[in-house]
Amino acid sequence: MNGTSIKDPVRTELPRRGSFWPAAKPRLALFGLLLAGLVALGYVRIDPAAMLASRANAVNFFNRVGALSFPGATDLLYQTALTLGIVLLGTLLAGVLSVPVAFLAARNTAPGRSAQVIGRAIGVLARATPDVVLAMVFALMFSLGALPGIMAIGLHSVGMISRLFADAIEQIDSGPRLAVRACGAGRLQELTAGVLPQVMPSWLATTLHRADINLRGSVILGYVGVPGLGMEMRNAFGALNYSRGLAIAVVIFGLCLGMEALSSTLRRRMLGAAPVKASRPAAARAAPTPSAAQCVVTRSAGQPSSTKSVAPDLGRYLERPWDGQRVKRLAGWCTAGFALAGALVVCQINLTDFVTVWSHLPPVLDKMWPPTAGAYGIWRLLGALMATVAVAFAAALMTLLASLIIGSLAARNVASRPSTRNFWRATLVVIRGIPELVLGIVLIVVTGLGAQAGTLALAFCHIGLLGKLMADSFEELPAGPQRALTAAGAGRLQMYVAGVLAPGRQAVVGHALYVLDTNIRAATLLGMVGGGGIGYYLLVAGQGSNYGQVTLIVAMIVAVVMALEGLTVWLRRTLA
Amino acid sequence: MDDAVVPAAAPTPGTSGVVRAGAVDVLAGGRGPIGESDVSPAAGPASAVEFTARADQTEIVATPVELRAVTRRFGDTVALDGVDLTVTKGEVVALLGLSGSGKSTMLRQINGLDQPTSGKVITLGQSVDGLNQAGLRRLRSSIGMIFQQFELVGMLTVLENVLTGGLARLRGPRLGTWSYPQAAKLEALDYLWAVGLADRAFQRADTLSGGQSQRVAIARALMQRPSLLLADEPVASLDPESTADVMLLLRQIARDKGLTVLCSLHQVDLAMGWADRLVALRSGRVVLDESAAALNREQVMAVYRPVPSNSAK
Repeated sequence: MNGTSIKDPVRTELPRRGSFWPAAKPRLALFGLLLAGLVALGYVRIDPAAMLASRANAVNFFNRVGALSFPGATDLLYQTALTLGIVLLGTLLAGVLSVPVAFLAARNTAPGRSAQVIGRAIGVLARATPDVVLAMVFALMFSLGALPGIMAIGLHSVGMISRLFADAIEQIDSGPRLAVRACGAGRLQELTAGVLPQVMPSWLATTLHRADINLRGSVILGYVGVPGLGMEMRNAFGALNYSRGLAIAVVIFGLCLGMEALSSTLRRRMLGAAPVKASRPAAARAAPTPSAAQCVVTRSAGQPSSTKSVAPDLGRYLERPWDGQRVKRLAGWCTAGFALAGALVVCQINLTDFVTVWSHLPPVLDKMWPPTAGAYGIWRLLGALMATVAVAFAAALMTLLASLIIGSLAARNVASRPSTRNFWRATLVVIRGIPELVLGIVLIVVTGLGAQAGTLALAFCHIGLLGKLMADSFEELPAGPQRALTAAGAGRLQMYVAGVLAPGRQAVVGHALYVLDTNIRAATLLGMVGGGGIGYYLLVAGQGSNYGQVTLIVAMIVAVVMALEGLTVWLRRTLA
Repeated sequence: MDDAVVPAAAPTPGTSGVVRAGAVDVLAGGRGPIGESDVSPAAGPASAVEFTARADQTEIVATPVELRAVTRRFGDTVALDGVDLTVTKGEVVALLGLSGSGKSTMLRQINGLDQPTSGKVITLGQSVDGLNQAGLRRLRSSIGMIFQQFELVGMLTVLENVLTGGLARLRGPRLGTWSYPQAAKLEALDYLWAVGLADRAFQRADTLSGGQSQRVAIARALMQRPSLLLADEPVASLDPESTADVMLLLRQIARDKGLTVLCSLHQVDLAMGWADRLVALRSGRVVLDESAAALNREQVMAVYRPVPSNSAK
């Protein structure tokens, strides 16, 4: 343009890649994790030959057990109600506690930087401490019954709910909140009027989702004395009454499937109920500049209305109409109210416990301190911890491989036919409904295998979660590049690798890390029911009243969980 | 519908004002005027008395808005450059200027949502920079603000959105229509009636159209019982019909309640027919400040011409 022509440089060499090390660090870490998964697979000895042999075991076992023997209808109904009640009350408690924690932890509502750190720390600590341990401690403090279970679920679940809720708070539209502030509202008023209404659906959805998770996890609480189906099952297996134990396992399976269906329907309704916000920016974009003639408004306009017409009795507008929305809402509230009342009745909560409990706190803490390895010695415990970590890694790797295949087949833009997608989607739903703990218990009891059975149960059940997450991520990929690849004549496999796997790899890594994260906790719990690792020692220490050991083991687990979480957070940030 | 076309007393030759049917309804149709906001105390329980009595009566000042040599810098950019402006009570002022000329920044100085780098802002007789948080809240509560994107809380009902305008007069957090006193609800309905949406009180705000949303936002501002109304591009996201509707409503409210209005606008023609006085900004400076009647279209359009070379940017 301005006279100086730009020379076309002649390429004589390939352009250099950027500096090697910064980009390689996360990749090396990922490679290390993958390697760890392979080593772990060897460690837990997933041995097809042994599996086949144990299949014969299983056949023998079932021949010996004969028919399932269900408990009497009233008893079964009572135990079911008790389990549901504990889960419901615990989750509700967690939901309520999570609100202030999340408001502290969210960037845009935290009163200060230190408050934000405190809010986050509460969440991380709650998430890292297994609910079983909390239940053990609360069982010492409260009289036996449902309350320790409720409190344990209530405190542990704060971790997940407050984190997701804080994320939702950070994503709100700040405009309405600013408008409320511009009205002169106070700080708290601004939060309740400008922020809370925007995040209510997300709070409800998260809490419902957590109720679902807690129901699956509630079985393990039975192992530390919380009444309900879990305890019934443990007692039955403990008494070698396998037909009764398996029958209860079947009931729990059914309950979990039902709950999964119910909560996902409710969540979809709730999150789908809000009309899509997209209409706002769309309107802004589409708004035509009004033609001048159309919208000239005059200063003198509106003279006629100066004769004041008196507003009619406005009170009638205060009568809220009984439209479908209101009826539905009322029905929802009533159902929730009945469920809550029912849960309170079934759980027979002794409210005086809350007053007397504090005097029990010092002696309990005294028992738990100092931490000690006891008769086992620290090396034995560390070895067991390694075994738990190995189960988690091995299971995560197996889940990843299976989910890549099933998740791809369940993605609309990979599956060759809609029927293929629907079939695999349905399969994922069913797998997701199976609680890994119950499957683990059954597999361990039936096949007699320890860590292998635990790993298999964990790996299988998480396919439901990971497969769904992957399929969703694949379907959300932009369709443009795929169309371009097809137009360029790429084959189906080429299309899959270049158009789906390559752009979706970050999502795959992110979801896999999430599963690994949850696996550590799940593997600990599986250890308690015989799946190998540290969980067994934790259970024995608790049952043997060696609370110093409990403290040490919990500290070890929390350290591992936090270290892994730190690693995954770092990986996700650097890869993003 | 054709008879709804009303010839306007256009100040400039060649510009004939046409008001669309929907807009005329605001004036002549079934909607009542802005009701007297004093709801009888008998309408509600004891808390209503507390609610209707305004704790902090802002004194009536002759010049609700006074900017003295106000400069606002964001890093290297100068958003406002020594702006002087005095608006007298009851005046309806349109702020013109290109995007980025400092209109929004100026409005945000007036209610203390932003502070000037130098200079003095005196709103409703109070120096904004000398106020603490509580003082700012009190000041803001008597300034209604209307936004381009309406900024309603979509999850809440229309009525509750209007009620949030009265929060400054209430103590403590509120959630749900039931948590507001009856007097507040009746007052809010009164304003909803005035903007023609009383029958939608219990509809969710995110189900409204753009024009309806902005009318609810106006009702929310009225709920503050403001003595000053700031509007930041109130019609930039609206279709022509809603635009006329909303602008007429604002004008009518200003007249009926004797409100001072400061409104930033994009459309010159709209501003000329609507405002008493036009103020135009360019690169953060006031380049035009005249009574609307004294200006013709060419003079105003000059503000939008390419910037002369001697200017900074």
